[in-house]
Amino acid sequence: MADSGAPKPSSSVKLVLLGEAAVGKSSLVLRFVNNDFQENKEPTIGAAFLTQKCNLPTRTIKFEIWDTAGQERFASLAPMYYRNAQAALVVYDLTKPTSLIKAKHWVAELQRQASPGIVIALVGNKLDLTNDAAGGDGEGAGGDGEGDARKVTTEEAKSYAEEEGLLFFETSAKTGYNVTEVFTAIANAIPETSLKTARGPGASSAAARTEEQRVNLNGPRDPNAKEGCAC
Amino acid sequence: MLNLSSFVQKAQQLLDPNQGLNLTDSDRNPSKASLFQAQFRLPASQHPLYEITAELTIPLANATQSDRDRERGYQYAGKLHLSESYLCFSTTPSSFLQSASTPTSSIFTGQTHGGGPSGNGFTFPLSSIRRVERLHSQNFQFALAISTWNGISQEAAKEKDKKDLREQRITIQLASSRQACERFCDGLKKGLRTNVGNVAKLKKVMSECYSEYLLRPEEQKNATPPDAGLGLIFKYPGDPKKLRDRAKMRLWAEYLRDNGRNATLIRQPTFHKLIRVGLPNRLRGEMWELTSGSLYLRLENPTLYADTLAKHSGMESLAIDEIEKDLNRSLPEYPGFQSEEGIGRLRRVLTAYSWVNADVGYCQAMNIVVAALLIYMSEAQAFFLLSTLCDRLVPGYYSTTMYGTLLDQKVFESLVEKTMPILWEHLVKSDVQLSVVSLPWFLSLYINSMPLVFAFRVLDVFFVEGPKVLFQVGLAILRINGEELLDAADDGAFISVLKSYFSRLDESAHPKSENPKLRAVTRFQELMVVAFKEFSAITHNSITELRLKNKDAVLNNIESFAKRTAIRNLGPDSKLLSADELAALYDRFYGVLYERQQRDHIIKQEQARRAKNNRSRAAVEAHDDHGVEKGRVGLGPSTSLMDYDAFREFLAGMSKWAISDAPSTPRRETVGDKQAGFYASFRRTDATLSPWGAGPEPANHEFLERLFRKWDVGSASALTLQNVVSGMARIKGKRDIMGTINYFFELHDDDGDGKVDREGILRMSEALLFLSRRGLEGTLSPSSSSLTLSTDNVNGGGEAPGQSVNERFLGSVSAFIRRCFEYADPDHPQNQNAIQDVQERLDAQKLEDIVDEELADPDAFAIGDDDDEDDDLLTMESPTASPKTAAIRPDKKSGQPPELQLNSSSSGLRADDDGMSARRRVSKAQSEKANAALDPSNPLHITLPTFRMVVLADELLEQFFESSFPTSFHIIEGLASSATPTSASSLTTFSSLGIGAGRAVNAALGGTAGAPGAPAGGRGLRGVLDNIVTDGMRVAAEVRRRMEEAQRELEKNALPGQRNEDEDDEDEDDAGIERPPGAGKSGGAYSGDAERRSVRSSDRDLLTGADAEASDATAAAAGRASGSLEGGSGGNGPGNDGSGKGAGAGAGKVVGVEFDG
Repeated sequence: MADSGAPKPSSSVKLVLLGEAAVGKSSLVLRFVNNDFQENKEPTIGAAFLTQKCNLPTRTIKFEIWDTAGQERFASLAPMYYRNAQAALVVYDLTKPTSLIKAKHWVAELQRQASPGIVIALVGNKLDLTNDAAGGDGEGAGGDGEGDARKVTTEEAKSYAEEEGLLFFETSAKTGYNVTEVFTAIANAIPETSLKTARGPGASSAAARTEEQRVNLNGPRDPNAKEGCAC
Repeated sequence: MLNLSSFVQKAQQLLDPNQGLNLTDSDRNPSKASLFQAQFRLPASQHPLYEITAELTIPLANATQSDRDRERGYQYAGKLHLSESYLCFSTTPSSFLQSASTPTSSIFTGQTHGGGPSGNGFTFPLSSIRRVERLHSQNFQFALAISTWNGISQEAAKEKDKKDLREQRITIQLASSRQACERFCDGLKKGLRTNVGNVAKLKKVMSECYSEYLLRPEEQKNATPPDAGLGLIFKYPGDPKKLRDRAKMRLWAEYLRDNGRNATLIRQPTFHKLIRVGLPNRLRGEMWELTSGSLYLRLENPTLYADTLAKHSGMESLAIDEIEKDLNRSLPEYPGFQSEEGIGRLRRVLTAYSWVNADVGYCQAMNIVVAALLIYMSEAQAFFLLSTLCDRLVPGYYSTTMYGTLLDQKVFESLVEKTMPILWEHLVKSDVQLSVVSLPWFLSLYINSMPLVFAFRVLDVFFVEGPKVLFQVGLAILRINGEELLDAADDGAFISVLKSYFSRLDESAHPKSENPKLRAVTRFQELMVVAFKEFSAITHNSITELRLKNKDAVLNNIESFAKRTAIRNLGPDSKLLSADELAALYDRFYGVLYERQQRDHIIKQEQARRAKNNRSRAAVEAHDDHGVEKGRVGLGPSTSLMDYDAFREFLAGMSKWAISDAPSTPRRETVGDKQAGFYASFRRTDATLSPWGAGPEPANHEFLERLFRKWDVGSASALTLQNVVSGMARIKGKRDIMGTINYFFELHDDDGDGKVDREGILRMSEALLFLSRRGLEGTLSPSSSSLTLSTDNVNGGGEAPGQSVNERFLGSVSAFIRRCFEYADPDHPQNQNAIQDVQERLDAQKLEDIVDEELADPDAFAIGDDDDEDDDLLTMESPTASPKTAAIRPDKKSGQPPELQLNSSSSGLRADDDGMSARRRVSKAQSEKANAALDPSNPLHITLPTFRMVVLADELLEQFFESSFPTSFHIIEGLASSATPTSASSLTTFSSLGIGAGRAVNAALGGTAGAPGAPAGGRGLRGVLDNIVTDGMRVAAEVRRRMEEAQRELEKNALPGQRNEDEDDEDEDDAGIERPPGAGKSGGAYSGDAERRSVRSSDRDLLTGADAEASDATAAAAGRASGSLEGGSGGNGPGNDGSGKGAGAGAGKVVGVEFDG
């Protein structure tokens, strides 16, 4: 039993990833779940489903991650996936200003249509393509140095995030920078009250069995490979 | 009671299950042509021309051609159909006559028994028919012998020695009246003749089919085989031994040898069985192409693929960017797609398709599907098959809204609910959304859900039997995994159960069974059996019905999502409008586009019908009523652009002034004449079918064009919703008079230099009159209040109270013109030409109609001196204001001068004597002044500040810009009863206004018109004024009479146009033409005479194994249609002598059409 060793309460959180095509949604998930990075990933048809646990000091959060297709025309399928989501990761590409506009659209959509109280994180991905890539100081950098592919300044995105009350991160799925932090922050931001105990008395052997299968399904996974998160 | 219940049942059947749904006509009532095309998988160019009941006889061995065999071969009763270039036979007794009921035409969509929608039979391109002979009649039967080009190369045909040719020859007995038979044969003859030219094309296409190579005698096999996909280079997926590929190949070779290959293949029950057991690798592509019908598309235009690539070589598009992103991630596990070769093919096919179908462009999942196709077929084959997929097999799956995908998910869900209620209940209870799991199955045709080898087996059947297969397989998956799925409590668990199932499809379905045979059955085989046996009730018909039922809801969902998203994403301009206004604009925008598209369709149909009535069929052929649906937002973006005509209609839906005054055609002409040069450009429309539908005809005024051009930011000659919203926001958004005035000025400032010339001023005034001709709206200060302020000294009093606001507005406009000229700045001489134009235009007008009391208004020029309202404005905002403008601004700080009001009230059409004489007194002096200002040798212009000043100088104009113009766009509420005016007095009709406008403008320029020696007809201002004085009363009366006349006319015509749209006479009697079920004689059982077969007996067990079980044995029961073969009476037909045809240029085709008595 996967959970048997953990004395802490465990609960599952449905998280949906949204954002323009090719901003790195699937790569963020792959980094978070398998601590891996692939240049050529199969495109997401509809949505991909993955799970990963995140251990917080007081509890364990099991993320049920819905990674959606980014192509514009798949947008009309999105409501199917963000239905009942407790958290959302809206991703944009630091090097592509239009992707931030699209991200804002998604934020607006979620704020109006998704379940109330949904925790939304705005994530600027592909930090490795910018000058701040090397340093851990993702914030405060102006972002107009030479050879810098950054097109969206930290300030711009951050002030927008603050305005809308979103969590905000800049990440690199390629280097792994800040990736687990995003998920940990989301896990912390989920209000205790909105957590249903996933492995409660109601879900008995069936749930446990599927849990096992799911572990198999997601392939080899090294839970200790994470730097930031204790999962 | 029994009677009653059966009666109720019948009544229910009669009731349209789809009533009340917002479905298009073609949804409910598909055209015969489209059903015909669907049954035989023919391109949209084909229409059912003739049909006849017939019996097909296939000789046992085609090798022998003696007539004896006719008695012994396989026989099928069915129907023979003839289209422009196809001869089709099917055991499905569907009929596509205009008089046939829809169910009769769509029988093929019902239970297929593994026979495929086209049943047993053939679909021969007429160009594949080599010879048709009328056989000597026995028992008065009318029989034709048809031999084809099957297996005959051109070289062989030229050789006179045809002995070793295995000619494909079939006989068809026509079972109908002699007349009907003759008619059919005539049609066939004609068709054969016109298709002679296509023989070479056919042979070229056929030579690219692998079957040609397969069946070639060994000694000729040295040539390179035709492209049978990447598999030839990179190996086909799966273990060929395990797939028993060789055995399958032998069986197919045998079948093709006996029954014809590619275009000349005859479908018999074995054909369908062979498909159910899985196609052999090298023939797979060809069979997909044949069974889906994409072969016929390729036949129609064999070079389309190469041409498209060549035509767009080097071009870029959004779709191409999207394609590039996915090329490296399409079936990456297949070695072919790790190579440049495979990726290159994939790129070319996807790109070419995105060009030919730009509406679809590229959708993720297409890359996977096409990649799979490319393993088995050439690029061109894959290209056409993709086209068939998008248009017919999975319509709307890859569209920009993906409505087809969503719709089929809904259909799938309702099927699950119906067939597996317990599982469904569980899904609902545990809040698992089925489509989350099943959507990728459908979207990528199971290709990346199952291991490839199995997905291809599903595709084999899918291409023959159609989309219902996707549903059957999906249901079977759920049924087989039912137990485990009932244990799964959430999405994740649900997904994992199915994933693990798919990964074990090759394992034994009954691993613990004692019975070795049972143990050998794989899970996949089990899946196929469950799909096609247990869910055999899922037919094309039931899917079609469910799609219809759910379509509206799905589209509404998509549309509300699209609307939400679109409105939210409209950008900052949209914030100026309220949410309600935006929503209404959105609805109006797409509503107009949709309606126009529907109307266009109806008009086209009507034209086609007329053309047909006129027996000019050629004209009809171009018309494609099978085309992909368009229009509704939910269906895709095909009509998200609004052209000028649509824009006019759009405005006419919410603004009174945008409705034309000449609703009926004959009237329009006269009106147009009358106002020649003013509103001359009325569009002539089809006399009976209005392009505007039931709504009022929109006006076509220069102002509309200007508005359109102004809103059309990208100069694309079409507006997007964004353009419309931004444009509207400028007018309605700010509610600020300055903004509106500026906007109006900009509208007329063609070159954007901040100046409007003489011509422009006239246009402005025309626009003002145009906009006000149906009365002003919004909050106007009641005229009485201004009247109290007005002094009587000029107008002689007593007149004003009777004047309506609209009449006063006329005056305001004419005063506007005068002031504009008064305060205009001198211009540079280069404007000369423009002025000349104005003059000519004006000269063309009927100057004798000029009746201008306005110019004579003594206040006209004095008023300017009182104007001070925008003193600050002028000095602040226009430092460049010309000295002249500045000079005429005296420093009177008095409020709105009463004279202003007077001025406008004096402008009434009903001039009384006092007014006239008063005017007369001052007119002479003023007109001279005006002449100087209007002298075309002094070109001039006004600037924005001048324009503002002039507008603000007049209370009515000010109010017009402040409220009435913005209010005249009734975005939300629309126009209640379209053009019907509320009260007669509030309406200034177009014609009367036209006169008024003409008068005002002409008078303003009147002096000039005559001055520089203008041609005859131009009268001096003075003459005009004299006229007024002498004929004042008469003119006033005349004007009033015309006004009333026009008013009546308008009221009459404003009634919603009741058009009798002729009902299509397609579907009269639903009285089912009952056809006995296919009980008749079944086609001869498969008798394998072993001698000439290379097929081993062990191969045969393939056909009896578990796979074959899935295929219905009932397929053999090829129903024989009711009517006994009716021998034509007289044995001797009128000399239908063979019209022999050696003419086949190059092709050397001999179409012997021999009908001897």
